[in-house]
Amino acid sequence: MHQDKMSQWVFGIWTGTVLVFLFAPLFVVAIFSFNASEISVFPIKELTLKWYVQMFNNNAFKEALLNSLIVAGFTVVIATSLGIIAATGIRSYAGRFKGTARALGTMPMMVPRLILGIALLTFYNMLDTDLSLVTVIFGHVVIALPYVVLIVSARLVGFDDSLEEAARDLGAGTFTVLREITLPLLRPAIVGSALMSFTLSFDEVVVTFFTTGTANTLPMMIWSMLRFGMTPEINAVATLTLVVSMVLAFVGEMSIRKAQTKSAAAP
Amino acid sequence: MKQRRLLDGSSFLAPPGVWLLIFFILPMLSMVIFSVWRTVDYKFVATFTLENYERLTGSLYVNVFWRTLRISSYVTLISLLLGYPVAYFLARKVKQFRLTLLMLLVLPLWTSYLVRTYAWMLILGTNGVINQSLRGLGLIDQPITWLLYSDFAVTIALVHIYMPYLILPLFAVLEKMDGNLIEAARDLGGGRWRTFWHITLPLSLPGIATGCLFVFIPSMGAFVTPELLGGTRSIMIGSIISQQFGVSFQYPFGSAMSLVLMAIILLFTVVALRFGRPAGSA
Repeated sequence: MHQDKMSQWVFGIWTGTVLVFLFAPLFVVAIFSFNASEISVFPIKELTLKWYVQMFNNNAFKEALLNSLIVAGFTVVIATSLGIIAATGIRSYAGRFKGTARALGTMPMMVPRLILGIALLTFYNMLDTDLSLVTVIFGHVVIALPYVVLIVSARLVGFDDSLEEAARDLGAGTFTVLREITLPLLRPAIVGSALMSFTLSFDEVVVTFFTTGTANTLPMMIWSMLRFGMTPEINAVATLTLVVSMVLAFVGEMSIRKAQTKSAAAP
Repeated sequence: MKQRRLLDGSSFLAPPGVWLLIFFILPMLSMVIFSVWRTVDYKFVATFTLENYERLTGSLYVNVFWRTLRISSYVTLISLLLGYPVAYFLARKVKQFRLTLLMLLVLPLWTSYLVRTYAWMLILGTNGVINQSLRGLGLIDQPITWLLYSDFAVTIALVHIYMPYLILPLFAVLEKMDGNLIEAARDLGGGRWRTFWHITLPLSLPGIATGCLFVFIPSMGAFVTPELLGGTRSIMIGSIISQQFGVSFQYPFGSAMSLVLMAIILLFTVVALRFGRPAGSA
C-alpha cells in the first residue's frame, strides 16, 4: 500500500513537470508582451500596455486580423457542414466501404501541412488559378474537415437510433428527421467542432504561406516579423493569438466532453 | 423503406468526398505529375523525366533526409518517454482531476505552432531566458550559443509542440485496458516491472504506434520550427522543399522531394501500424 502511494506521487510529479514544460513557454511570451523594455530580456523592470495599443493602431495588423477572421469564418461554415454530412453519411452507410470512407475522411490528418500546402500550390499552378484568400480557405477546409468528422462521429457512437426511427415511422421525411431530431442531438458536437475548426484555421501558417496571394493573415504577419525584423509588438500579437485559441479550444472541449458524457449516459 | 433511405448513405458522402477529391487528392496527383517535369528558364515544361529523383541521390540531399529522420526519431522517442507515464497516470492512477488534467494537456495543442516555436526563440536565444538566468546566478560568463540554431533547439521545440498528440491515443488505450489482467498478474507474483513489461506494455502497443505516428509524421514534415530554430546548422528537409517553391522556383524538383518524403512517411506508417496491431488480431 505504501509503495502504491509512492508511485502515485512519482507519477503525479512527472505529470506536473510535463505540464510545466507545456505551459511555461506560453507564459514567457505572454509576460514579455507586458514588458516596457524594447528588448525581451528578464528581469522585467516596468509593465506596460503600450505594445497592445501600438498593435491595435497598426493598420497592417488590423488588415491581417480581418483577413484571418474572414478565412476562419468561411472555413468554419464549410468544414462544419461538410463534416456533419460526412459523419452522418458514414454512420448510416452500412456498406462494405464504411471503413474506407472513414479512412478517406481523416486522411488529410496524416499528411504534413507542408506537403498539403505544396500540393495545393502545384494544383493551383497547373490550373492557372490566381492565389487569394479564397484559395487559402479551400486548403483550410481540408485541414479542419477530418477533425469535424472525428468529433461528430464520436458523438454519433452510442447515439440512440430509436428517436430517429420513431420520427420516420410517424411519417417524417429524411430532411425533417435531420432538422428536427439529428441536428439538435448533435448540437454540442457541432458547436465543439466549429470552434476547433476556427482555431485550426486562425493559427494555420504553412498552408496559408503557400496558397495566399498578396493578402496577409495574422500568423503570416507574425511569420514575416520573425523573418524580416521584429518589434516588441510581436509579443502582443502572439499573446493575442494564444488567448484566442486557448479560449475557443477550452469552450470547444467543454462542449465536446458534455456531448460525450451525455451520450454515454443515454440508455 | 427503400424510398426513404434513398437520401441516406452514399449520397451524403458525395459533397465532402468531392471536396476532398478536388482539394486533396487532385493536388497530390498534380504534385506527382510535376515531379516528372522539367524547369527550363523559370518555366515548367511538361515531359517525362526522372532526373529530379536522380538529383535527390546526391549526398547533400541524402544528408538532409538523414538529419530529418534522426531529429524526428529523437523527437518521437523523447515524446514517448515523457508522455507514457503521463498517459498511464491519467488513465490508471487518478480519478478525481482526470478531466481537468486531460484538458490541460490538450489545450496547448490548439495554440499556434508558430507562436510556440517563437516562444523557444525567447527562451533559448543568446539573451534568452536560460542564458540570462544562468548569468544571473553566476554560473556562466559567456552566453551558451549552441542553445538556439541547433538540432537541440529544433528537437526540444518539436517535442513541446507535438507530444500531447502522443498522450491522447495512448491514454485512450490505457484507459480501456482490463484492470483484471494487471491484478491477476500481480496476484500471481509478477513484480511491478514484470507486470508492466509483459502485460501493460504489450497491450498498449496500438496506442504507442498511433501516438508515435502523430508525432513522427508532422516532425518529418516540419518547416516553420527548423526554419526559425535550426538556422543554417540544422537544416531539415522541409526548409529545402519550401525553397524550391520560393526563391529557387523549381516546382518539379520540390515536388519530387515532397513525394520521397511522403513515401518515407508512408513506409513508417505501415510498419508502425503493423507493429502496433492489437494482440489477437492476425
